[in-house]
Amino acid sequence: MSQATERPVLDPTIALPFHQAALPVLRDAQLRKNVAHAIDVIQTKRGRLVAEKTDWQELRSAAAEIRAHVLENLGTYLEQFEARCTAAGGHVHWASDAAEAREIIRGILRSEKASEVIKIKTMTSAEIQLNPYLEADGVNVFETDLAEIILQLGNQEPSHIVVPALHINRSQVREIFAKSMGRPELSDDPQTLTDAARRYLRRKFLDIPAAISGANFLIAETGGVAIVESEGNGRMCLTLPKTLIALAGIEKVLPRFTDLEVMLQVLARSATGERMNPYTSLWNGVTPGDGPQNFHVVLLDNGRSSILGKAKERQTLRCIRCAACMNACPVYRQTGGHAYGSVYPGPIGAILTPQLMQLQHAQSLPYASSLCGACYEVCPVKINIPEILIDLRAQVVDQERHKGSGIFSPLNVGLRIAGVLFSSAGLFHAAQRIGRIGARLFTRKDGWIHSLPSVGGKWTQTRDLRGFPKQTFREWFENRPAKIGTEGK
Amino acid sequence: MRASLFITCYNDTLFPETGRAVVFLLERLGVDLEFHPKQTCCGQMHANTGFRTEAFSQAKRLVQMYADAENVVIPSSSCVAMMRDQYPGLFDELGNQSLRSDFAALLPRVYELSEFLIDKLGVEDVGAYFPHRVTYHASCHGLRAIQLGDRPFRLLQKVRGLDFAPLPNLDRCCGFGGTFSVKNAEVSSAMMTAKLQDVLSTKAEFCTALDNSCLMHLGGAMHREFAGMKTIHMAQILASTEKSPMEAFA
Amino acid sequence: MSAPSSGRESVLNRIRKATSTVALDGPRLAERYSSIPRNYVRAGKLSNATKIALLIERLRDYDADVAESAPGAIADTIREKLTGSGRQTFAAPGGLPRIWMAPSFNWVIDNGLSHEEIEKVDGVVTAATCAIADSGTIVLHHSANEGRRVLTLLPDWHLCVLRASQVVETLPEYFARVTQPPALVTWISGPSATADIEMTRIKGVHGPRHLCVILVGD
Repeated sequence: MSQATERPVLDPTIALPFHQAALPVLRDAQLRKNVAHAIDVIQTKRGRLVAEKTDWQELRSAAAEIRAHVLENLGTYLEQFEARCTAAGGHVHWASDAAEAREIIRGILRSEKASEVIKIKTMTSAEIQLNPYLEADGVNVFETDLAEIILQLGNQEPSHIVVPALHINRSQVREIFAKSMGRPELSDDPQTLTDAARRYLRRKFLDIPAAISGANFLIAETGGVAIVESEGNGRMCLTLPKTLIALAGIEKVLPRFTDLEVMLQVLARSATGERMNPYTSLWNGVTPGDGPQNFHVVLLDNGRSSILGKAKERQTLRCIRCAACMNACPVYRQTGGHAYGSVYPGPIGAILTPQLMQLQHAQSLPYASSLCGACYEVCPVKINIPEILIDLRAQVVDQERHKGSGIFSPLNVGLRIAGVLFSSAGLFHAAQRIGRIGARLFTRKDGWIHSLPSVGGKWTQTRDLRGFPKQTFREWFENRPAKIGTEGK
Repeated sequence: MRASLFITCYNDTLFPETGRAVVFLLERLGVDLEFHPKQTCCGQMHANTGFRTEAFSQAKRLVQMYADAENVVIPSSSCVAMMRDQYPGLFDELGNQSLRSDFAALLPRVYELSEFLIDKLGVEDVGAYFPHRVTYHASCHGLRAIQLGDRPFRLLQKVRGLDFAPLPNLDRCCGFGGTFSVKNAEVSSAMMTAKLQDVLSTKAEFCTALDNSCLMHLGGAMHREFAGMKTIHMAQILASTEKSPMEAFA
Repeated sequence: MSAPSSGRESVLNRIRKATSTVALDGPRLAERYSSIPRNYVRAGKLSNATKIALLIERLRDYDADVAESAPGAIADTIREKLTGSGRQTFAAPGGLPRIWMAPSFNWVIDNGLSHEEIEKVDGVVTAATCAIADSGTIVLHHSANEGRRVLTLLPDWHLCVLRASQVVETLPEYFARVTQPPALVTWISGPSATADIEMTRIKGVHGPRHLCVILVGD
């Protein structure tokens, strides 16, 4: 079994800081191989399609501006959505936080006397920890996405927001299905396993009268809800039951139906490297005779409005959950999602999770990046993730300064001292001389440093450091012979 | 043509040979080079770690120091990126009108080394001779932040005797990331190992780049692992001639 | 359950406060929305013939069975495909043209069928609203000749009849044709698929595993 020693914790209020959470994952060879393979597959497909799309940058620009415009006018567009959805026969609820959202959903299920519910994959429901809450209330929750079934039956956590079970091998899936579906004869061929999932779910789709979904987009103009999927379980959940509850972050709204012409093009290419995903469904409220007659939308704040108020950070909410950023991220490539301690991993998770927590938790996530910028390059809505990462780091430092915490960490002490040294040439030069002398203690005969104490030890645990040269550049320049002139030309 | 060299804090202290190479190279090309002895740091390390006030005071100092420079040349794309991407925000937030206009006047005169050679001096063939197999690593700041494009390749192509080996997965970060290399040392090392695989697969003798930061990280691993490859800043390749090979300014 | 209005008011208040410096009112909002630059490709450039050929290529890439038909031969082509499917019982939306329903097969017309009844059929035949060549997408608005959503969801075999004039090249062209946003839309781009197990693409999870398309020349 590949699994890193313990079940990963995706609750930012109790998860380990990134650099610690990453350790067991880095030692998990199967997980790292699976993550790299999954990323390579999607990236290759995406790359090909983006290259063929001559108006890709124009689409990105339009997508970014549409999303930015919505966020600036979110109140108006949400109210419009609510009015149209209600007029079309839907019920719209507003939840300030996770607890309220869970209660609203449970209330709806109770009034329907629903003891079972089928679910389409929605990260938002994982964000509010809905499943355990409903289970504790005696409601059986059946995930219907293949990856979510694998995770649910195998009692595991998602590691990616589009391909959540990418860290699991076919033989592990076989084991999970064989045991929980009572089918020991199953082979590990992906087709066979998929057929097993189809059989397992068929009766559930037909029999269970309540479903919970997320929403990819809410259309203000029509009160419509759009869901983008590949497997068809979405269509099953959206069409067959009597009651449908769609849980959506407040930021999911688009102004008009036609805005989908931009968003659907960028989403499919970014998320799965396809021109269009297999099934996209859109419905406005209730249509008599077709689909759920009891339809509810639960709009979720849960920290989003606080991000909305920050001019620089507002762009975080443009996110359409395509996961292109984590597919492009060289850090994510090595660690997969579990190290981020949140249902939102990767670059978007590194900026979204701490902000949803109002920086009370997940303060290590903004540092879980080498600031390479690959995420910004691929983001279909042009979220400048590196800029926000740096800004969040500044906020974390300010927070630590006010609280007086972390100020004595060796790195922070070193940084503050360096700040003073850089402010004066005299101090800087003196520090260089002292550093040069001090470094000799650690410099070996080959002229390199192989081992350093404290923070330096984090460098030397895997790298050497060349010893300090006898002269700084400045010292050489000030003492050099007459300049070269035209020699060598 | 006059230019003022901003050597960068880490080049000054740890890679003076890169600075020497820049001097040899630019003076050979007829540039009248000056060096302000009181320079320290651009503030990037502090800005990227969240210490904005410290970063700002270094930025202010730099802008004031180079107010009269005809051109500023910097052999480090990350420092140039710092000035282009983060200085505006720092000065908007913490500076005043006079500082902001000084900065705005300075910025167009700031060049990364390959930008200075190709855009300002208009040369691709700098008269270099470097008979070795070389691969080029594109640092993320050079690649994405200041978008050097094909400048490094055009310069290397004109170096006589140089056997160029393209690097697979060129656009993937090496894992240095400044303080990331110690704050998330294990992940940084995992990224470094992946990068090293690509670099070593080129069977080059040297891995070059326009930033010693990445090279310090990759070179440190190469040395630890007896990998049989070395790192060298591109300035040292470009400064190298038959008469003055790279050892001349090492 | 929390009182409905309190959650609403507190969320909206927070939103309004957060956007107080940037939010626009009625006419200025509409103006700002219209000023969003849309320099992406709207209209396609392909000739009709090339466009149709592209759609067929995309559909066949998805393993759909595609046949072309002259307008007068629709019924015959449908019958051929039904025969070739090896299936016997087919569902039809209430508004499906009667001549499309070949006599030698069992037809179950949807005048309010139960899910269990639909589950029992072998296949379904419908029209469509539009097809987008660039992505090989078939668009259903679930009108009388397209059928309720469940009708094209439960059966394992779906035959879709499209007229050439319904085919557009780009997604924006589809949206340009829509005068009134529909209450129900399903965009279908190939059979359902998953890559959740080791990124191996498996076709046909839920939803019809077999798609057959007849393209009728105008």
